[in-house]
Amino acid sequence: MPETVGVHIPPVMESGHTYASVTDHIDGIVLRRRWTWVWLAAFGFTFALVMLLTTAIGWLIVRGIGVWGVDIPVAWGFAIINFVWWIGIGHAGTFISAMLLLMRQDWRTSINRFAEAMTLFAVACAGLFPLLHLGRIKFFYWLVPYPNTMWLWPQFRSALVWDVFAVSTYGLVSLIFWYVGLIPDLATLRDRATGRRRRVIYGILAMGWRGASRHWTRYQTAYLLLAGLAAPLVISVHSIVGMDFASAQLPGWHTTIFPPYFVAGAIFSGFAMVLSLAIPMRAAFGLQGFITIRHLDNCAKLMLVNGLIVAYGYLAEAYMGWYSGNAYESYVNLNRMHGPYAPAYWVMMTCNVLVPQLLWFKWVRRNVPTLFLLAFLVNVGMWTERYVIIITSLHRDFLPSSWGMYYPTFWDLATLVGTIGLFLCFFLLFCRFLPVISIFEMRELVHSTAGGTRPPPTMEPKHAH
Amino acid sequence: MSERDPTTEYTLWRSPEELNGSAAGNLREFADGAWRPPGWANRREFLALVGASAALAGLTGCSDRPDEEKIVPYVRQPEQVVPGNPLMFATAMPLGGYGRGVLVESHEGRPTKVEGNPDHPSSPGGGSDVFMQASILQLYDPDRSKSVTRAGQPSHWGAFASELRRRIDAKRAAGGAGIAILTGIVTSPSLGARINEVRRLFPKATWHQYEPSARVNTAAGAVAAFGRAVNTVYQFERAKVIVSLDADFLSDDPLSVRYARHFANARRVRRGRTDASRLYVAESTLSLAGSMADRRIPVRPAVVERVAWKLASLVGVANAPGEEPTGDAEVEGFVAAAAADLRKNPGACVVVAGEAQPPAVHALAHAINQQLGSVGKTVVYTEPVEVRPDDVTASLKELVASMEAGRVDVLLILGGNPAHASPGDVAFKAALERMTTARDTSGELAHFTAHLGLYDDETSYLCQWHVPEAHYLETWGDVRAPDGTASVIQPLISPLFGGRSAGEVLAVLTAQGDISPYEAVRDHWRRQATGGDFEQWWATALRRGTIEGTAAKPVQVAPAKLPAKTALIVALGTVDVVIRLDWAVWDGSFANLTWMQELPRPFTKLVWDNAALMSPRTAGRLNVNDGDVVKLTAGEVTVEAPAMILPGLPDETITVHLGYGRTRAGSVATAGAGEWGRRGFDAYPLRRGSSPWHTAGANVTKTGATWRLVTTRNHHAMEALRGLEHGRVTEERLKPDVVASPDDDVETKNRQLVRVVSLSRFAKDPNAVKELGGEAGRRVKLSLYPDSWDYSQGPQWGMSIDLQTCIGCNACVIACQAENNIATVGKQEVSRQREMHWIRIDSYFAGGVDRPSVYHQPVPCMHCENAPCEYVCPTGATTHSTQGLNEMTYNRCIGTRYCSNNCPYKVRRFNFFAFGYESSKGSTQLQKNPEVTVRTRGVMEKCSYCVQRINRTRIEVEKTVVELTEQARLAANDDERKRLNGQADARRFAVYEGLRTACEQACPTAAIVFGDIREPRSQVSMLKAQPHDYTLLDELTTRPRTSYLARFTNATGDGGEGAA
Repeated sequence: MPETVGVHIPPVMESGHTYASVTDHIDGIVLRRRWTWVWLAAFGFTFALVMLLTTAIGWLIVRGIGVWGVDIPVAWGFAIINFVWWIGIGHAGTFISAMLLLMRQDWRTSINRFAEAMTLFAVACAGLFPLLHLGRIKFFYWLVPYPNTMWLWPQFRSALVWDVFAVSTYGLVSLIFWYVGLIPDLATLRDRATGRRRRVIYGILAMGWRGASRHWTRYQTAYLLLAGLAAPLVISVHSIVGMDFASAQLPGWHTTIFPPYFVAGAIFSGFAMVLSLAIPMRAAFGLQGFITIRHLDNCAKLMLVNGLIVAYGYLAEAYMGWYSGNAYESYVNLNRMHGPYAPAYWVMMTCNVLVPQLLWFKWVRRNVPTLFLLAFLVNVGMWTERYVIIITSLHRDFLPSSWGMYYPTFWDLATLVGTIGLFLCFFLLFCRFLPVISIFEMRELVHSTAGGTRPPPTMEPKHAH
Repeated sequence: MSERDPTTEYTLWRSPEELNGSAAGNLREFADGAWRPPGWANRREFLALVGASAALAGLTGCSDRPDEEKIVPYVRQPEQVVPGNPLMFATAMPLGGYGRGVLVESHEGRPTKVEGNPDHPSSPGGGSDVFMQASILQLYDPDRSKSVTRAGQPSHWGAFASELRRRIDAKRAAGGAGIAILTGIVTSPSLGARINEVRRLFPKATWHQYEPSARVNTAAGAVAAFGRAVNTVYQFERAKVIVSLDADFLSDDPLSVRYARHFANARRVRRGRTDASRLYVAESTLSLAGSMADRRIPVRPAVVERVAWKLASLVGVANAPGEEPTGDAEVEGFVAAAAADLRKNPGACVVVAGEAQPPAVHALAHAINQQLGSVGKTVVYTEPVEVRPDDVTASLKELVASMEAGRVDVLLILGGNPAHASPGDVAFKAALERMTTARDTSGELAHFTAHLGLYDDETSYLCQWHVPEAHYLETWGDVRAPDGTASVIQPLISPLFGGRSAGEVLAVLTAQGDISPYEAVRDHWRRQATGGDFEQWWATALRRGTIEGTAAKPVQVAPAKLPAKTALIVALGTVDVVIRLDWAVWDGSFANLTWMQELPRPFTKLVWDNAALMSPRTAGRLNVNDGDVVKLTAGEVTVEAPAMILPGLPDETITVHLGYGRTRAGSVATAGAGEWGRRGFDAYPLRRGSSPWHTAGANVTKTGATWRLVTTRNHHAMEALRGLEHGRVTEERLKPDVVASPDDDVETKNRQLVRVVSLSRFAKDPNAVKELGGEAGRRVKLSLYPDSWDYSQGPQWGMSIDLQTCIGCNACVIACQAENNIATVGKQEVSRQREMHWIRIDSYFAGGVDRPSVYHQPVPCMHCENAPCEYVCPTGATTHSTQGLNEMTYNRCIGTRYCSNNCPYKVRRFNFFAFGYESSKGSTQLQKNPEVTVRTRGVMEKCSYCVQRINRTRIEVEKTVVELTEQARLAANDDERKRLNGQADARRFAVYEGLRTACEQACPTAAIVFGDIREPRSQVSMLKAQPHDYTLLDELTTRPRTSYLARFTNATGDGGEGAA
């Protein structure tokens, strides 16, 4: 086929791998690899950031929300920006594992495991913020409908309550999906581990997986069902996060385009984060054979597509601001472009609209360092997008008498940096203790790559091994 | 004796014995019995104690005061004290020597709130000002001095009295020569009598008066015109045309609350009533009166006299020389228009000269008023109300001269803070310091100096003795209002910190040391009473808050003598420094009140500082921006002050406010460390005794330093104005997109927050206001959704705010703060936009950049029927009541702050820190309104329409109306039933109509009206039915319950807004 098209499409897995070499290579990272100083230094650094985060949270609880830069009119600041950003990043994992699974995209196999892990960690980081940003954190559970003698329920018209459901469902389903996907590999680790303690721990986690045909049948059904369950969540979670804003009547928030545009933005930033993690990881653990240029290329293409949708969103917002003839809507757009926060707007436009256009070029998509830089810029851009949406809309709304500014404080920055530390810290631990690539799914690909040609899409149902 | 030397070695010791080491071994850390467990009492001991407690409980009714002093509540009698129901007492607040009638709310003996007394001539309708409102906080100020001190060391009253007596006795033989008494302006009849008694006993003793706020020019102007001291009272209600010559009668006058009310009464516009009075203002700063002007020119101070001369000649004052043209077309036009208007309305017009203007301008104003036949109609002359009308500056100078000459041996400073507040060219401070520290040949202190004051301040620091002064809410006294009406000041509480009144100090001199202030005041009035039952007379006087028949008698005056004409001198290349009392801290006496420090000043919205205010052009010339420190040099005095740009000021004048730069005030007012510790600059040194409000020939230069000024004004407000950028003039006209007028080209993108219409247009087309927002012809409901709430039952609360009569005085802001336990947050937190005021006054400028029109817009919660805050709250902490209130349930709030984000009016306030607790330290907790929760950290709050008052009224209605309705149900026949139902209805209406929110009650101009909008007879319903009623952001379909009445322009020719 490649010959007929005349284009060389890199394989999803380096040729020449056998079942044994795949297993060996991947579980070797967990079972036989030595502690390297690079890993320890990275872990130490990220752990220090986690300590910074706990300090910031401690101080927040002791002193109150006033340690942040929030004020009236800008009553939401870094906390909500970070929340939306992390939740967005968390979207790629489920998109890759569920959506691409359902679409039979076999190239997902190499990246789904760590992408799912990334999702979990991102959701964990995101989940912190809605709690931390409460004025009275101790009463966070009032957001949950629990039976009580006063018959007091949350106020179901509020998008913040939908958020609780959406995010907690997403977090839970992602966790189950990830864990179920891990079970056969945990069994592999159990079987190949040398120390007793490891065998016991992995054994417990593997939940008695023996690789029987019946296990595989059940497993495939469960995994498909879970994928079916998780796929709509990819759409729903960020739609609801979008509605947090769209259901308000603030100019700059009150926009019908928000739900789809938020979802696209989320997948956009999610793939950027996948690339940001995959590129150093494949280098560090020598996984170039499993995470090939093909994967990077595909991720880049998805980024481009979603980036275009996001760009369309920006365009639509600006157009509607003008077309509506509404004084407030048009002012918000002008203020974003020319107001005190204009730099943020232009950073957003550069990183999210201009820079991704480079992805039209194949050499950019296949140049690893460039791609890494580009993914980093998109992550920055998507954080800035949330900054623009939240801060510039709030700081100047209807009555000029109540206009104001927002200046983040040290504790705002500490919390942001701290969650990045937490995320990376989790990820480093994940790399060390769990297989970063799905072993059994990679083994499924061995037969198709053995000949070194591009494998046909695996349309037939998967077999038990 | 051990070797320890307590002066060189830092040791802690608990008793002299321990210090000496003699009994150290015997000292035990804990007292006897401290080792016993807390539950030490056995059954017998416990029962004995219970019995004793019960028996002794009855003794708590006993007071340590020598005799029972009955204070008499307003309207209701004391036997009707119902726990939980506050009582109102009438009393009077002295301010600058003059009385303001107040009603004080007392909760079980604890005063919590001050209102205006509607029966008092100074506060018709019960309006008040910020000073009356804030005086309750001053009562509880924990920084008030608490002990008599001698040379800074604690002493006691007995020691002070005996030392004073000793000193006085030494002077007795010489007839009291060497005794000097310095008071503020005294209008108190009983204190005056006491002073006269002292002077009878000590004929050579001298009595001086000094008051930084004294109206010296006004008094001198009357003397210049009429040859005698005369008090002038205006009747603005009767004036169709008012010309103010630098007079801010709306805020800077002892009678300003009354003037504001009367001014507003003549200015209200209603359907079919478009004959509002017209106000011309020529002024050297931007005042509240100026902001209300129909035509206003900002001019340098000296030019006002030109205006006055020109006006006099144009209205035909005899002997007024034909005034040569000023060469300024704008001034000419202003004077011509004003003169023409005055001539058209003889007897129904008034020219008011401002205290800041020299006596000549006052004399001219008197002449013009006489010429126009206003005397007896809009201007009333009375006998002076002071015990002794003094030129206070001269009086202080005389005292300083005596002190410097060594002629004063005993100096009693009764009240005030002259060491801080004396003019820059009167060396009182130095003289006092020399006198206090002088020693005689034997090394003893040579002189006796004592200061009676609320605070241990700059003056007490320089005196040998300091005696805490009793607050007016703590002691008996009396005072006269500026129209002469006397009031008895009755205390609401025993002195919290053992304060004494001026009368008590003087009683030492008259050897009546044992007479209580209560007896002293009663004795005085018993002697004045003309027959009848004194007790009844006394009770009436206390209950009403005024003493009948004490208003000053009107006097006939001779034709005013014209002053000599002086040449207009405006020194080119120099600036005029215009000095005013501060809007909030006043002459400095309110400087230690957080409410006042954090009160956004009119126009500038500056808090916690004062500034050198200047016009945009002057700022441009000096190349300064907000917060740049400038050096003001007048003669030998140099003051460094932060600059602040204010459109509407005349060019080349710098307006400064007094009362800041305190070096020894309480913890609030005294400057601290760092940029947040700064508390303004002292403007008193710039003051000249001869010209207290204006210092000409000053120089101003930029220093390069900066000063962090904090305002609540839309932080970066000026960017909302096209025409100014960062305070600099970029276009000739300010074009904010918030002020909409059909007389202008209405821009399509106008937010229409302030709607302004010319009166003539409104008379022709009453729908002009509604047409602006397109509401006039609107037939469809904007929202597609059905109404969420049933508003057809019960009272439905709503508010109407009249922008035509709101003068922007801030009384509502402080009243709300006092009523609703609103926290202050401090300078730094305000800079982070976390101020907590539930009602704010937005100011917008529009029109010519040099003389913009100014609009005030009070913004409380709108109580939207379709509230955007409610549906976004995840816990349902903010909900709607069946009566249309948007309610905050603090207990249910977890602080997501989404409600604030979604509030288009941004009226919600959040407790980012524990502001409520942090800002109520010590005794200020006693001020808290027990009916309102103090909010905790992390909770949202906002205007509640004073729901506690609504509920109290609702209970009142239910108590009476329900009973009547029940009687009607059981009535024997239909007639009876009808009668009773009618009675119930009338009662319900009357009680609900009587309900007033704190802001409404405080408003001196009755611009705020609250009530039941379902009741067609209610005032608020009638206002909402006016054609110029509109709501903010109507197009958002929030359907606010708070609506506004448009502002009108009324310049001659109706050229639209302002003079231009």
